Amino acid sequence: MKQYKHLIKPYIIWAAALIVVPLIMIVLYAFTEEGNSVLTFSFTLENFAKFAESTYVNVIVKSFRLGIFTTVLCLLLGYPLAFIISRCSEKSQAFLILLVTIPEWINMLLRTYAWMNLLSDNGIINNLLEMLGMKPVSMMYTDFSVIVGLVCNFMPFMIIPIYTSLSKMDKSLIEAAYDLGANRFQTFRKVIWKLSIPGVLNGIMMVFLLSVSTFVIPKLLGGGQYMLIGNLIETQFISVGDWNFGSAISMILAVIIILFMRLMKKMDTQEE
Amino acid sequence: MKNKLIELKDLTKNFDDQQVLRGINLDIYENEFLTLLGPSGCGKTTTLRIIAGFEEPSSGEVLFNGIEISKLPPYKREINTVFQKYALFPHLNVEDNIAFGLNLKKVDKSVIAQKVGRMLKMVGLEGFEKRDVTLLSGGQQQRVAIARALVNEPKVLLLDEPLGALDAKIRKNMQSELKKIQREVGITFIYVTHDQEEALSMSDTVVVMNNGEIQQIGSPTDIYNEPENRFVAGFIGESNIIEGHMLQDFLVEWDGFRFECVDKGFPENEEIEVVLRPEDLDIVSPDKAQITGKVISVTFKGVHYEILVETEYRTYMVHTTDYAEVGRKVGLSLGPEDIHVMWKMGAY
Amino acid sequence: MKKKKSFFARFYVVICLAFFYLPILVTMFFSFNSSKSLTRFTGFSLRWYNELLQNVEISKAVYVSLSIAVMATVISTVLGTITAIGLTRSRKIVKEILLNVNNMPILNPEIVTAIGLMLLFSSIGMRKGYVTMLLAHIAFCTPYVITSVYPKVRSLDPNLANAAMDLGATPFQALIKVIVPLIKEGIFAGALLAFTMSFDDFVISYFVSGNGVKNISIVVYNMTKRINPTINALSTIVIVVIIIVLVVVNLIPLLARKNTVNMNHRLHHVIGLAAAAVLIGVMIWLGAATNGKHVLKVYNAGEYMDLSLLEQFEEENDCQVVYETFESNEMMYTKLAAGETYDVLIPSDYMIERLIKEEYLQYIDWNLIPNKKNLMEDVQNKSYDPGNRYSCPYFWGTVGILYDKTVVDPEDLKDGWELLRNPKYKGNLYMYDSERDSFMIAMKALGYSMNSTNFDEIEEAYQWLIEQRDTMDPIYAGDDVIDNMISGNKAIAVVYSGDASYIISENENLDYLTPDQGTNLWYDAMVITRDCSETDLAHAFIDFMISEESALSNTEEVGYTPTVESAFEEMKEGDYAGVSSYIPDTENPNNEIFGYQEPKVKQHYAELWTKVKAQ
Repeated sequence: MKQYKHLIKPYIIWAAALIVVPLIMIVLYAFTEEGNSVLTFSFTLENFAKFAESTYVNVIVKSFRLGIFTTVLCLLLGYPLAFIISRCSEKSQAFLILLVTIPEWINMLLRTYAWMNLLSDNGIINNLLEMLGMKPVSMMYTDFSVIVGLVCNFMPFMIIPIYTSLSKMDKSLIEAAYDLGANRFQTFRKVIWKLSIPGVLNGIMMVFLLSVSTFVIPKLLGGGQYMLIGNLIETQFISVGDWNFGSAISMILAVIIILFMRLMKKMDTQEE
Repeated sequence: MKNKLIELKDLTKNFDDQQVLRGINLDIYENEFLTLLGPSGCGKTTTLRIIAGFEEPSSGEVLFNGIEISKLPPYKREINTVFQKYALFPHLNVEDNIAFGLNLKKVDKSVIAQKVGRMLKMVGLEGFEKRDVTLLSGGQQQRVAIARALVNEPKVLLLDEPLGALDAKIRKNMQSELKKIQREVGITFIYVTHDQEEALSMSDTVVVMNNGEIQQIGSPTDIYNEPENRFVAGFIGESNIIEGHMLQDFLVEWDGFRFECVDKGFPENEEIEVVLRPEDLDIVSPDKAQITGKVISVTFKGVHYEILVETEYRTYMVHTTDYAEVGRKVGLSLGPEDIHVMWKMGAY
Repeated sequence: MKKKKSFFARFYVVICLAFFYLPILVTMFFSFNSSKSLTRFTGFSLRWYNELLQNVEISKAVYVSLSIAVMATVISTVLGTITAIGLTRSRKIVKEILLNVNNMPILNPEIVTAIGLMLLFSSIGMRKGYVTMLLAHIAFCTPYVITSVYPKVRSLDPNLANAAMDLGATPFQALIKVIVPLIKEGIFAGALLAFTMSFDDFVISYFVSGNGVKNISIVVYNMTKRINPTINALSTIVIVVIIIVLVVVNLIPLLARKNTVNMNHRLHHVIGLAAAAVLIGVMIWLGAATNGKHVLKVYNAGEYMDLSLLEQFEEENDCQVVYETFESNEMMYTKLAAGETYDVLIPSDYMIERLIKEEYLQYIDWNLIPNKKNLMEDVQNKSYDPGNRYSCPYFWGTVGILYDKTVVDPEDLKDGWELLRNPKYKGNLYMYDSERDSFMIAMKALGYSMNSTNFDEIEEAYQWLIEQRDTMDPIYAGDDVIDNMISGNKAIAVVYSGDASYIISENENLDYLTPDQGTNLWYDAMVITRDCSETDLAHAFIDFMISEESALSNTEEVGYTPTVESAFEEMKEGDYAGVSSYIPDTENPNNEIFGYQEPKVKQHYAELWTKVKAQ
């Protein structure tokens, strides 16, 4: 209807000002020298050259390793849960999904602090271990604590899309597979898994995006030495004050993520 | 059918770079049941939407009672529409759907209730007031859509392939019912369809369209019996279309045969096309006819047989109640009034 | 077989949910703790709920979070809905471009979106604060609304709006009476998503907010230093509210089905009215907050002031104090350089020197500060500001080693800073995540000046830190070290003397050492910015802070060594009797005060420090 065509006009202006322009600003800063002014900028590639140093490359590698590990873990732990939920009666399905989503409503920082209290050397878990007469374990400020925090925070983002694609699945397809002589495992591999792939890809995208760029959880649970790409960006902007280098890192991060998303989308369409 | 209600003048419409209407001129009269007939993509729905006000023409005029309205928004026109898939409001029940327009006009509640009741009675849905429209059958939804439009007492009702989604039997019932309703309310109906049978059985006037142009305007009988060109002849009913010459007034020639006919006014030796309706041809013994051939197929169609007769030049289709077995040599007889001569068209 | 599987399935579901809910339950549980500890439950009490009600900072943050969330939800829902409707009627190219752009904030890491917005606001010279935060929230919420509404609109019969207009509805009426009711589920889902995203947001708010405007997440993040169950009390309330809301939302459809349609309508009205009332209330509160009073903007390190003093000051002077905190001097400088304006800052010595050099400050008119007489001799006239022309000392102290007497061998203490490289304590120490202090330690251990600009010496110090990192596995902690040391998590930590005093007062096993190789003798002082528009109020504030009563209660709350003689003496006899860290060691000739660093040197240090941490 032609009357409503104009309804997008406010958002076109809005999106240009608050989505497109900020991205342009990042690119602009990434390619210019210090001075932090829009009017006087001189082009440079130095910010990117700096990034090529091994320290910073290591940060990226570490971030991606952690992101991939978290994603895989979320998938391995989340898929069975989503699968079990999708097999429940409709009422319990709704209830369980609500239970999975409620924690996401609660401030991520608060949940992370709670993990700090649970995992610290003299924390709740170690107190319990001590009471049981066992030796305390050092868990804070390690890969373990960071991954626990990430998985706890991000797993629902894996579960929900997988559950959605599993619950949408026509049950008669599974019956048909059994009918055609497939055993449990074959049915799962050839029918259920195949049909849930869009959900899986969606979940992978979400969790990877979140875990590769996070900076709060590693900072709190991993300590200052747990430097990921998100922390690197944060320190550039908040304490070092090198906005140009910070923008360059942000740009690199955004480009890598966008390429990754493209890849995922491509896989998705190929599946279909 | 005296007063012109709507006049379309040189309407054109482009979507992006595609021209869907190429100069439509049409007069629509009061109390008329007018059908826009044509294959899909011919521009009939676009014409309807321009009359309703959902589209603006790229050029040309739409006059309503002599006043130009092509820029007037739909909610200011005394025209209502029955949509292709009814477009009933799924969140409202039957009563609220029908009362929608009256509510907007802030008509008194008791008046609304009365009018809605009358409409429901007219379309045969008494007692359905509180029903959920999404749970009604297609035919019932159709009736609600009609009631919803008519309750506003428009001057014109537009119907966009309203029967398209119904099955054959309900369709037939609805056709006669629509005609009945139109007589009852006494307003102009503009009806869009691609179904020629529907068009012929209901309309006062049929407008045949193709490729964004009007091919012919006329009464159903005229359109059927005197198609103006090959497209109309081909689209309306089945026909044998043959190229020939008009030797002089009342004399036509094809395949070397000469026939008397009732047509005149063509230039001498003009290349023309002849339409022979299959039911106008009779099978006779070969010695009684100019055209002779051999029966190559016979199909029983319920009331008649469809017989294909192959001659030296072409194959004719004949509808007849007489049976003729395959392989038999037959003659085809036809009288002057059975021959319809048309101007030849380049395009088809 | 079947039973067995279902048992395992159930067990697995329970385990997973336990994993999700463990932190939440812990949070709720410890909100009722009678003591400050977040790891040991000492008894039931509602003490922290009471404190929550009295905590001005938190209640302001709740208002900010709520009002921003409500407004961002309303605006982004309206904007997103009309855009989604418009999109279905737009040309294909327009539609595709806009949808792609719309996906950017969803597909981009949050931190990238945050930085983009921050760069935008600062380059057009917008004051960071409530408005920038609201704009940013609308910007990242709207895309989610569009993605949840758009498919609903697309699934509608495109003729419905036409039908409504055909029946006499104006386009607006058609929208309200037909389109919106039909897509309300999508709108509701989008609004809910927007509200959650906005209410819980940290990353974007953290980068785009400023001038004292903080939402709950920012307050929580800044609370690391003395984290206490107040915040647990807050989150318990939030959790309970959320659960109530979810239950109600899930019950409404059931109720509506049972009752008549009328009831449903009434319910809608009630919800709508309630939402409107909340919104209006919030707006009035916000409007009242800055009702024509003089406003003083103070920027201080986190957890570095007794906040009740601010209220007292506000009352006495009939003004409003906007109080904001930073994590480090560098962060403060970055904000200042980015164009934020404050009236009073409380930075450290070397930063004051830098601010003086770069002309960020104005002279203090000591005639306006009668309480100057209260100040100790020891803290005045230092190298960073000879004659105290610009600065009024606030707290002072040293940096040293906090160690567990029950673990660390007294013999090892003789090594001074090298204790931090003693392999006996591998994995058992916290370094401080501060570039200057870490390099100070290395420089002092090597016998150099901590203000060295000699790149060879710096390189040597860098190698010292690298070696320490590789052999000792230290944790580079922030302010969470305080809580960790009180709980006795590790044996050794590098801390500021004031924090040490506080920690020792909470954990008697610990003691504090300032190595003979020398350390950082530091002074934090109040300064007035050049752009200060409330100079009278700023002077009054400084005078107020060094009054004998204020200084005492400030020290009692924060634990740092005061610069006011009477407070110093009183604490020495009182709470901190015998606590070695309380009295800064002014005798050691190896002690130094940090000096100003040339940008080039500073940059070099910053890069090296990033590299130390990043391996």
